[in-house]
Order: sequence, then structure tokens, then C-alpha cells
Amino acid sequence: MTAQEDTQRTDTQSGGTVSSHSESPPAAELLGVTKQYAGAETVTALDSVDLSIARGEFVAVVGPSGSGKSTMLNLLGLLDVPTQGTVRLAGTDVTDLSEEALTDARRERIGFVFQDFHLLPTLTAVENVTLPTAFEPGQDGPRAVSLLQRVGLGDRLHHTPDELSGGQKQRVAIARSLINEPALLLADEPTGNLDRDTGTNILEEFAQICERGVGVVAVTHDELVTEYADRTVRLVDGQLREGTRGGDGFAT
Amino acid sequence: MDNSERERVEVMDLPPEGEAQSTAYATPDSDQGGLTGWIWRLPTVALAWRNLRRNRLRSGLAALGIAIGIFTVVVLGVFGTVLQLSAADELGGIGNQVIVSPAEEVEAESLATRDIQELERIASGRGELVPLYSDNVVVDASGESAAVQLYGTNTPGLLFDAADGELPVQHREGAIVGSSVASNLDLQIGSPLVVGGDQYRVVDIAAAGEDITPVQPDNAVILPEREFSGEFDQAIIVANSPAAATAVAEETDATLNVRVERVDIFELSEILETIDEFFTLLNQFLIGLGSVSLVVAGVSIFNLMLMSTNERRGEIGVMRAVGIHKPAVLKVLLAEATMLGLLGGIIGAFLSGVAVMALWAVSPIGLDVVFVPRNGAFLLGGILFGMLVALVSGLYPAWKAASERPVEALRG
Repeated sequence: MTAQEDTQRTDTQSGGTVSSHSESPPAAELLGVTKQYAGAETVTALDSVDLSIARGEFVAVVGPSGSGKSTMLNLLGLLDVPTQGTVRLAGTDVTDLSEEALTDARRERIGFVFQDFHLLPTLTAVENVTLPTAFEPGQDGPRAVSLLQRVGLGDRLHHTPDELSGGQKQRVAIARSLINEPALLLADEPTGNLDRDTGTNILEEFAQICERGVGVVAVTHDELVTEYADRTVRLVDGQLREGTRGGDGFAT
Repeated sequence: MDNSERERVEVMDLPPEGEAQSTAYATPDSDQGGLTGWIWRLPTVALAWRNLRRNRLRSGLAALGIAIGIFTVVVLGVFGTVLQLSAADELGGIGNQVIVSPAEEVEAESLATRDIQELERIASGRGELVPLYSDNVVVDASGESAAVQLYGTNTPGLLFDAADGELPVQHREGAIVGSSVASNLDLQIGSPLVVGGDQYRVVDIAAAGEDITPVQPDNAVILPEREFSGEFDQAIIVANSPAAATAVAEETDATLNVRVERVDIFELSEILETIDEFFTLLNQFLIGLGSVSLVVAGVSIFNLMLMSTNERRGEIGVMRAVGIHKPAVLKVLLAEATMLGLLGGIIGAFLSGVAVMALWAVSPIGLDVVFVPRNGAFLLGGILFGMLVALVSGLYPAWKAASERPVEALRG
């Protein structure tokens, strides 16, 4: 089997979703979300943020360090809960879910691509991709293989991360984020540790993922990311300033 | 590498058609073993094992600690068992005999026939009754004289062993002499012997007594009952077990000593019990001593788990972030600790097996006291205990690591 054939298969599967983007609820929504960290002095990391990520939309989030980008990503990724406001995932209010339910929601609906890949060094590429479902019945080994083939790592299935280059590791991480067919893919500096060519490849991969109806949010300092994004939003001191397309509103 | 080669081939063999492909997806178990290896069948064990292999020296040292602890406990435990069983072998006889003689207060010199019949009844089913005449006499042989203990019984085989072969089941004529008497008077089987003016032939020689009992054959001459007249001087019940001996002694006391103390009852099973209790205590003390080293091993596992989970905070955070539940992560970490314990336990048990066999090879202890179920239990129990110690030591570090919020853990 080739990567191309697999792509066809996946296209056929998710074809219905692509055509019905507009009717289905957004992949994720933040409604009036505020996040404060208590301490000696209360820090407001996010201040009444409203953001909606449609299915198939690629949103780049830019802003200076400490502007609340990571906080926003954590809230969208259900790793953290807001102090105020509502978080919706594929139309469902997930603000007040229990820790267990949040864990399930992460595994079922969200894909993560971390800045420094965060692959488990003891596992091979294909095992890393399967990891999210490893403890669930009916793990999807064949799907992991086809995802790795799709990102061009069909010949690296059984290599461990230390046998892979940075770009290859990032592609394994992307394959892992897609194992659960997520509604929302979150990427933290996806091109941060990669050279420009590799970064471009990764971003093209993201563009393809969007075409399958997945909402993608990438937090970045990299202008290249904003070129590929449908929309760039800018965070300054925890407040959102919407840009239009491409590099608009981009400033560090 | 061979394995991954094989797996790769299987990947290539996957059906290319979309339809067939979907079928493979629908039955995830069909091809998966070949695709991702055996590891996802037991993800907890597989992840734990790989984590342990990552730093083999460190894991090896922690397992070694457990191995040493288990070795100490098992060897001391087995050693205690061997001591206790050897002592029981040596002292075995004393626990089984009940000696009944006329009480000093009643001034009777002998046991009434009625009492012998009563004892016969009490002993039945619990052991054998040997009524005994006893006296002190001087015997002459080969021109020499010796003062000896004289016993009269038809069934000396129940009380004594022969120096060579077996004593006759029924003693009907002639004299059986003890080993000291035989050597002092230079007697052999067939030698003539004069006892109280009557001449007898030596028919057998009794072996030196090994048991601790007042009825010793060494300096004794044993004649058949018909050489005596009157009532028996004492009666010995050779019970089947120490417990039976205790029961016989109690019933005898309750039956014969109702209003007046008519008989003295000499019985040592309780002493044997006390000795046994002492050895049990000694055994527990030895094991307790050995357990200290296990506690030390537990502390080292605790330390190892704290360090290694701290180093892997990010990885644990990723596992939680991608949707693996806290109990599953906890299980992986506890499996790591438990496997260290299992590994150490197996090594420790193996080493103690070797040590015990070495002890057996250089000392006079018999295999019959080494290969007993209790020692097997020590070996198996040692492995289980090693696992338990490791598991308990891993509890806090594992719980701490699994409970950390993924957002904190990922921050590093």
C-alpha cells in the first residue's frame, strides 16, 4: 500500500464532513474566557477571550511571550480550566467536566503537537503513534501505520525517536495527534525546532489536515506559519486582537 | 532487528484496496500483533519493562538491593527451619513417651494390675503400652561384676533399638544387654551372663539410647517378664505423637489420680513444645533481622522511583495529555517498581537456593530437613515479599507522578 492510496481512503471517509463544515458546530469555541492565576498577586493570563475555530480552519495565534498564548492552548486542549467563561468542543460545553471526562475528551477529540515533539524515547514510531489508544480496547495499529505512511515515514515505522531527525520526529508527533481522528488539532510552535524546508513540509501537512475538516490552532512566533494560516489572531496581555489572513496583525 | 524486518514485510502485505483495508480496521486484532509487536497486548508491562531497561545499571542496582534482602531473609529462614527440624529429630523420642510409676505418697512399690488394665485402655489407639519390671542388680560375666539396671519386658523392641538389626518383637528367653554393659563385661551374642544367681545367654545387644528419657538401655539388662513375679513397677506408653502423649498423660491423671495421687506421670511432650516454641521464636527473630535489609532495599527503590519519575515528568505529562487516564499511568509506574521487586526476588531466591545447597554440602545436616515444604514456602514467599516491598516503595512516587496535572508536568 502507498501513502497516496491511504490518502484516498481517508478522503473518502471524511468526505461528508468536508462538505458540511458550515452546518456542523465549530471545532472549538472560547466564550468570554478569563484565566487568572492566584498567587501573591493575581495574574490575568487571558481576559474575556472569544474565539471560534471552524472545522477545517487553520488559525495561527501570535503574540509576545507572556501574552497568554500557552494558556489559551491549554484551555483549548482541556489541560486547564478557565476561571470564567465557557469552553466548547465540537458544540459540547466541556467547561465543567470532571478530570476523567476531560481525559476522555482529549483522547477522543483533540490532537496535540508539542513544541519539542514529546515522543516517548522507549517506543518506536508506530508505537508512539498508537500511544493515545494503547490502554483502550481495540487499538488501531493499521491506522498508525497508514498515518506514518501518509507523513512519509513508511520506512521508519520501527525506529525509535533517537534514530529520527527533528523533522521526522515532528511528523511522528503529527501522526500521533491524528490517531484519534480529532476535531481539533493544537500545535505549540510546530516549526520552532525545524529548518525552513522541514517547517514548510509540516505546514503543508497541516493544510491537508484542515482539508479533512479538522480545526487547527498553532501558537507560533514563526511568520511562515501565519502564511499558511486561514486566519491569524494576536494576543496582547491576554486580550485577543483579530487579524485577517496571512501575516496581518503579526508582530512580536 | 529480525523482528522489525518481519513486521515490515507484513505491513507491505496489507491489502491495497480501500474496501479490504476498512475490513482490517474493523477487526483490529487480526493483524495487529505483527504491526506493533507484542507490546500493546500488555501495554502496562511493556512500557514498564522498557522504562526499566532504559537505565539498566540503575534498575539493576535497585533489584540487587531487593535480591540481597530476599537472600538474607530466605537463607536465615531456611537456616532456622533446618535448626528446628534437626533439634526435633534429636529430641523426637522424648515427646512420645509417657512413664507412669507409683506415686511416692502412696508408698506402693508397684502398679496394681487394675491400673495396668486402665492404662491399656487409655493407650489403645494412641500408642503402645509397655509394662515394665525394674530393679537394680549386680551381674557377673567372665569373672567380672557390674551393677546394672534390670528391666523386665516382653516387648523391648518398642522401647529400644538393637545395636545391629532389630530387637526381637517378643522377648521370651535369654538376656538383652545394653551397649555399656556389653563393653564393660566384654559380652557378645551367645556369651553367658549371671543375673541374681541365674544364668542367661546374651541374645541381643541394645544400641546406646539417643533419646532423652529416664529409661535408658545403655547400662541395662533386659529379661523376659516371666523371670519376674508380682506386679509391674512402672508402665511406659509409647505414643504415636507428642499430642497423643499429652492426651494419654492427661487422661491417666484424670482417671488414676482422682482422689489421691496414686501414680506419678512423667511426660516430656510439653517440654518439647516449649523447645519448639523457642525455635519458632528464634526463626522469627532471624527473619526479622533479615527484613531490615529488605527495608533498606525498599528505601532504595523508593529513591529510584522518585528520581526516575521526576526525570520523566514531561513524558508522563504527555501520556496524560494525549488521553491516558491517571490509573493507567499509575499502573505503569507501579509495574516498574513491582518488576524490580520480582527481578530482585527471583535473583535473591536463586542465590539463597545455592547458598543452602552449599551449606548442606559442607555441614552434616540432612536433606530431609532442607527439602521441606516450609523452606519452599520461604523461597516463594521471598519472591512475593520482594515484589510487595517494591510495590509499597513505589506507591508514593508513582502516585505523585501520576497525579501531577499534565499542564504542570509539560511545563517541565
